[in-house]
Amino acid sequence: MTSPSSPPHEITQLLAEWSEGNQAALDQLYPLVYNELRRLAHGYLRRERKGHTLQTTALINEAYLRLVDQKDVHWANRSHFFGISAQLMRRILIDHARRYDYAKRGGGAQRISLDEAAVVAKQRGRTLLMLDEALKSLAKIDPRRSQVVELRYFGGLNNEEIAEVLKISENTVTRDWNMARAWLYQELSGSVA
Amino acid sequence: MQPERWQQISGIFKSALAMEPAERAAYVAAECGADELLRREVEQLIESHHQADKENFVNSPAVADVAPLLVAEDSEAEVPRDSLEKEQQVGHYRIIRKLGAGGMGEVYLAADTRLDRTVALKILPADVASDKNRMQRFKQEAKLASSLNQPNILTIFEFGDTDSLHFIASEYVDGATLREHFRLRQLKLPEIIEISTQVVAALDAAHEAKIVHRDIKPENIMVRRRDLVVKVLDFGLAKLSEKTPTQTSGRFDSEVNTELLVRTTPGTVVGTVNYMSPEQAQGLHVDGRTDLWSTGVVLYEMVAGRMPFAGVTSSHTVVDILEKEPAPLASFGARRVPPELQRIVSKALAKSADERYQTAKDMLIDLRNLKKRLELDVEIERSTSPDSGAQSPTTGKNVIPRTNSKEGVWSTAEPGESKRRHRRKLIAGIAVMLALVAGLIIAASWSRFRRSTGVGPTPASVVASERKLRYWMTVQKYRNGRPFEKPFRLAGEINFEKDYRVRLNVSSPQTGYLYILNEGPSGVEGASSFVVLFPSSTANDGLSYLAENQRVEIPQQSWITFDAEQGTEKLWLVFSANAVPELEAVKQFANRKDRGLINNAGLNTRVQEFLRGHSDAKATLEKDEELKQTSLRIAGPVLVHAIKLEHH
Repeated sequence: MTSPSSPPHEITQLLAEWSEGNQAALDQLYPLVYNELRRLAHGYLRRERKGHTLQTTALINEAYLRLVDQKDVHWANRSHFFGISAQLMRRILIDHARRYDYAKRGGGAQRISLDEAAVVAKQRGRTLLMLDEALKSLAKIDPRRSQVVELRYFGGLNNEEIAEVLKISENTVTRDWNMARAWLYQELSGSVA
Repeated sequence: MQPERWQQISGIFKSALAMEPAERAAYVAAECGADELLRREVEQLIESHHQADKENFVNSPAVADVAPLLVAEDSEAEVPRDSLEKEQQVGHYRIIRKLGAGGMGEVYLAADTRLDRTVALKILPADVASDKNRMQRFKQEAKLASSLNQPNILTIFEFGDTDSLHFIASEYVDGATLREHFRLRQLKLPEIIEISTQVVAALDAAHEAKIVHRDIKPENIMVRRRDLVVKVLDFGLAKLSEKTPTQTSGRFDSEVNTELLVRTTPGTVVGTVNYMSPEQAQGLHVDGRTDLWSTGVVLYEMVAGRMPFAGVTSSHTVVDILEKEPAPLASFGARRVPPELQRIVSKALAKSADERYQTAKDMLIDLRNLKKRLELDVEIERSTSPDSGAQSPTTGKNVIPRTNSKEGVWSTAEPGESKRRHRRKLIAGIAVMLALVAGLIIAASWSRFRRSTGVGPTPASVVASERKLRYWMTVQKYRNGRPFEKPFRLAGEINFEKDYRVRLNVSSPQTGYLYILNEGPSGVEGASSFVVLFPSSTANDGLSYLAENQRVEIPQQSWITFDAEQGTEKLWLVFSANAVPELEAVKQFANRKDRGLINNAGLNTRVQEFLRGHSDAKATLEKDEELKQTSLRIAGPVLVHAIKLEHH
């Protein structure tokens, strides 16, 4: 395993600062995590192409493992870290999808892509944006269920980890997930039609 | 949807899912009793649950969905496979790793085994290198540029070939392309000007030696990591990508034809037209002034965060390049744009090469002066104000926006697409509001009538001295959390029922900067809270700048509802010929939670002061009963008007 481009303690430190309300930390954090994510995405796709479907949760966990200095005392509270990271991931991914969406609408660099994969990617990006919007709405009626979705979908956590973060039972996580997902599905299929 | 309703639905849903599928229908029917709507909602949700399962909806983390996207963005710089491998020997160079791939071949980091140094090796595609004449001319020009020893021009060490490969060995710059450099963060003005200055300095030296770059763009500019020194790459290379004009044609000098090289590798760029000058886009004669145009485009992009010319297709872009005046820099983001910077950009982007900067030296002087002035400003600010960052001086000397005179689109159709309706349902569902019958009175209490002067086409000089704006309001009824009946325009006073939403629409025959704020009922201390309704990221791309006759409606999140708090609310309309710094600064709050509450006491006060300060000058008000719209007009460059909403 090659070492990540930035020293883990830097990222860990920044995450801690951000969670304590220092917005400037986010500015520094953002490109670091983003680059790491892009690097991982390349690897992920390479493996996918070869037919070895990577456990998708493993990808995000790999990012965590690489990004965070495990010995750091700030993160004695693991669930706290997961929560804040899921938020960051959501932000990065949504920003990215938005930029892509914007480029698609003619705002970005002019390029004519012959790669069909890029077209598919754009559609996924669009869906992601709608999902994010719907999730914001859900947060207003039912914050906990929306958090479950954030942790699982954006944070890549499994139900057990989510239960730990939210201090609820795993059964509740499953039920919350079912309800939230059905509702989101309904919202999105409605808006697509 | 009311929270209780949501709880009710999710309770039944949860229990139903825990049962055997056969028992569900009966259970749901029993639980819902006579509430037909409830039963349908639960059933729909169960159906959605199954569909979502079947389609694996959001089952894998978002990263998996985004991975192709993340990669697609990078694929611009990727070719399907690397032609050289690590440790491979090319001449007296040993490949270390691939650095990237540009429009003209792959680039590798390599070790020069003769002279103990690292170099960048650019491998030229065979088809390109096979044209002997063209290669010759390119080499001459590239060598000449390199020999100028200008610190901002990349130094070329050698042109070489092996049996099958043609390559260029050059200085290795450990850093990022300018594109990468500004992709993820907004550069600060001094850095932008510093980068531009260095690019223009490189051009100045090259132009003196009669070398035109022809392809200045962020991908061809490197920023060195350790000291942020800028290096312009690929002088002369654009010549290689030019197509020779048809052999029989004697009309064009082969030097000036600039058709794009078309590469057909999947996923790679076919052509980037965004940085081309008008003369280049038309295939006309190109000289140094073309490079200054392209630098202007790059400079614009760094400041605005977007390119000045970017149409849906390349052809649209070319049309924009030839005809469109780019939006003023001040219309983007909260950044303060010195008028001098706008002037420099506008001069570099003059459509006619004769009106542009004539030499790189002229542009260089302007950039250096601007840099000095900015440094001086910082110095002064530092010595006078302890918190200089938040303050923005109202010089009132901003540039007057220029746009093309194309007719704007004027449409009165109500947007009633199913998509919107669906989302409205959503918004209605989430709004936690008390049912309330509110009386709404629109009272433009500060307006007094003025006689309008003159009719007919307005001379350009009058545009800035008079502001015009019209607005109308649309009401959408809701029932059971869904839009009910068609929206209608509000004429005057109406009785409000539970769940009515009011939407404000604005348009102007002029261009200008629009801001809409909602001032809630004043607190005890007299300090008001302001909510940003426009600009917002979901309307007009987050910009305050409006084109002529462009219709703006405040985004859905900001539709006005009535809650328990009685009192007077005001909707402030500000329409200004110039960007208003105080109000540009509130953009950052738009569309956050609480419908964009300005969550910063200092800024809130400045906004309040601005509005109070301008509300003495009253706009002339004219109501059109038939169209149910109100026209405002005021002498001077800024129109400020408050619409009062009373509920009692």
